[in-house]
Amino acid sequence: MALLEVRNVTKQFGGLTALNDVSFAVKPGEIRGLIGPNGAGKSTMFKTIAGFYTPTRGDILFSGTNIAGSTAYANAARGVVRTFQETTLFQEMSVFENVLVGCHLRARSGVFSALLGMDRDKRREAETRTAEVLEFMGLAGRRDQLAKELPLGSQRALAIAVALAATPKLLLMDEPFAGMNPEETEHMMGLTRKVRSSGVTIVLVEHDMRAVMGLCEYITVLNFGSVLAQGTPAEVRNNDRVIEAYLGGA
Amino acid sequence: MKAAKLAIPSLVALAVFMVALPFGLKLHQQDFMISLLVWVLVVSSYRLMALTGEYSLVHVVLMGAGAYGSALLAKLAGFSVWLAMPCGALVAAGIAALLSFPLFRMSGFYFLIGSFAAGEAIRLSWTYFTVPFGGPKGIKLIPSPELTLPGLGPIPFFEPIPYYYLTLIIVGISLFILYRLENSRIGLIMNAIHWRAPLAESVGVDTWRYRALAFVIASFFAGLAGALFCHYYGTANPAQFDVAAMVYVLIWVIVGGVSRFAGPIVGVVVLSVLNELFREAEQWRPLIYGCILIAAMFYLPDGLVGLPGRIRAWLDGRRGVAAAETGEAAEEPADLASPRRR
Amino acid sequence: MEIILQTCVNALVASAFFALMAVGLVLIFGVMGIINFAHGELYMVGAYLVWYFYASLRWPFLVAVLAAFLIVTVIGLLMERTLFRPMRDNPLGGLINSIGLLFILQVLAVQVGGVGLMKNVPPAYRGSLELLPGVAIGNQRLVALVIAAALLVCIWYFLTRTKVGWALRAVAQDRDAAALQGINIDRISMLAMGLGAGMAGMAGALIAPLTRVEPYMGHGVIITAFIVTIVGGIGSLSGAVLAAVLYAFFHTFVTTYWNGTIATMLGLLIMLVVLIVKPTGIMGTRVSE
Repeated sequence: MALLEVRNVTKQFGGLTALNDVSFAVKPGEIRGLIGPNGAGKSTMFKTIAGFYTPTRGDILFSGTNIAGSTAYANAARGVVRTFQETTLFQEMSVFENVLVGCHLRARSGVFSALLGMDRDKRREAETRTAEVLEFMGLAGRRDQLAKELPLGSQRALAIAVALAATPKLLLMDEPFAGMNPEETEHMMGLTRKVRSSGVTIVLVEHDMRAVMGLCEYITVLNFGSVLAQGTPAEVRNNDRVIEAYLGGA
Repeated sequence: MKAAKLAIPSLVALAVFMVALPFGLKLHQQDFMISLLVWVLVVSSYRLMALTGEYSLVHVVLMGAGAYGSALLAKLAGFSVWLAMPCGALVAAGIAALLSFPLFRMSGFYFLIGSFAAGEAIRLSWTYFTVPFGGPKGIKLIPSPELTLPGLGPIPFFEPIPYYYLTLIIVGISLFILYRLENSRIGLIMNAIHWRAPLAESVGVDTWRYRALAFVIASFFAGLAGALFCHYYGTANPAQFDVAAMVYVLIWVIVGGVSRFAGPIVGVVVLSVLNELFREAEQWRPLIYGCILIAAMFYLPDGLVGLPGRIRAWLDGRRGVAAAETGEAAEEPADLASPRRR
Repeated sequence: MEIILQTCVNALVASAFFALMAVGLVLIFGVMGIINFAHGELYMVGAYLVWYFYASLRWPFLVAVLAAFLIVTVIGLLMERTLFRPMRDNPLGGLINSIGLLFILQVLAVQVGGVGLMKNVPPAYRGSLELLPGVAIGNQRLVALVIAAALLVCIWYFLTRTKVGWALRAVAQDRDAAALQGINIDRISMLAMGLGAGMAGMAGALIAPLTRVEPYMGHGVIITAFIVTIVGGIGSLSGAVLAAVLYAFFHTFVTTYWNGTIATMLGLLIMLVVLIVKPTGIMGTRVSE
């Protein structure tokens, strides 16, 4: 069964149709790329899955449950976690604290237990999880640095670490390679594969074709809010309509 | 760290000082100390709210709600003052909880203006409804608490020194709770919401709930402060909790510095003591405060508590040491809306 | 029936004042992103200046009003230059500075105006114009209404029909884009602040003979201006004018038939409801028309 199924999703803003009857399905363990020329609706699709937009029509099924119109935090509790474009982090907080916030769902406790220190076990568990995630993402050496002091590559890794701390089943990545040099891109691709092999399904929106082609098993191409083509990187690369959309649009 | 080692002895010294203080003071100075303690609680609770990044203009009105609530419960419903005071605080918290539904659909300026509107509406209702709020004159002859200790007889809480100690204890406990809360996981989440609400939301934080939680808890302590206030001075009226009072709170918080727990406390203590020293200039007070506020915006972006760090950085700079390398001295200027938990 | 018509006349006069205040506030917010909390104090200063020039120095009323308008405009320009411009990247800082200024102006009013707080400004135009049997408008009010309406029309013309007005609206739409087109943001900000302040000063100047002039008269007015601005949609000029008229009628009628405090309370509640239901107000989001 598909882990994520987007079924006939339409999203309109006023009179503008950003997504028109989009359907696709993502199997567990997949790395799925969502690409398309500028204005194709990738970003809207992404935000709709993540729970930041409510679709006008259609369903978004996650493990069989319809999550269309659900809030971002409720989605996180189900196991759908997103990352952000650029470097959206808690800039003034330390690397460790950033990831600790990511552990929110497992460390949650009431006001009184937090006040009385009765949440100590949960805190300790969250701290252990934080240390694990930092180790996994290769950030253990930077745990006490402020997020804003990190180089770009590490900031992106930290953004993923924050998301991973929430133990997602499905990780939605918004342009993880934007602005990276080839070396950083290579490193990030490695990290993404590593995250996948730890059992997380990944959907990513990306402009960097080289990274998408190298990383994803399966690609969905959007154009003018509709699905233009789907298939393996090789199929998509040789699809006439895709070539036309990219060349004609450019 | 060095500072942590010094923390406990200096807290003990402060406690001893606070306990010994009233005996060296004149009557009106004892009065002043009681109101100062009350305002310390108000500004500290305000900071909890500011931790989530929202600045409210309803805080002092909720302090008033605590005062009115407690006074009415004690006078009309015949509650013991000991019970009325926490109930007054709960009234303030309850109003905050109700307000959080409309107010937290907004943020930033909209929240600011919305909270202002809500506060004015509440305050006007006190002016308008003579029953039970007493209209513009408010409530008078509010009873003071009663306690009889075996062997000592009744404690005269209507006198400043006993009431000072009562206030000291309640405010001390409240500050301890606020401090713990801020340094708990809940404080971490509140701070995270301030920095990047969407990111916090994406990892499962219900930001509305935490904003509302900060608001309700802050209002509880503001209400408690209001109750402490009215059972000493014996009155509660709309003018005590007007916009000017709210602006004073804002000034204390900002001038003291919102980035540290101690900041607002330093602000209210320094400015109030200065004010007390220049009592004859009472009518110039708002003007002086206005100038101080503007000056702080320009020259003290971290507030008074950021001052030592800035001076250190400046001295280090003069000695030719790169401030950045010393780490601690590199006190990066935080903008006003940037409380950090420390 | 006469009472209803008379109330309508009164509401019409109030509309003009509300609109003067709200449009200024919207201009300032639209261009600079700052909520000017001292707006009510600019109004108060305008009233004090008329009291000083007209009631004390015996200048002709209209000259006094013009002088007040110009002086408050200059105060606005100085505010932009000293308090708001340095805080351009920190809108909350601008707001805080305006609160500081609010206190300063209040104390100065107390000091300059003497210890007796209230000032009475005698009306310059006595008598009244009977519109219908039993329905009259005082000449003083009529003059105020005409001048306020004329100023609003001038502002509207300026904003929609002149190049500078167009530039001002462009800045309010999107400051960065406007800057890229070579519009001088500093000058536009000063213009907006000068106009906004001038309108508040004018409102205060015109109302001086109709009310009690005292240092804290700005408070009630700023509440009204906030209500109108929010209901109209913060940033929308036409919304502000429309909301000013609606709220003036609402407030005047509730005050006449019920109670002034209740009217303000209901106004605040309406504003809260608008903030919740449609934070962009009844008219759009940005400076338009």
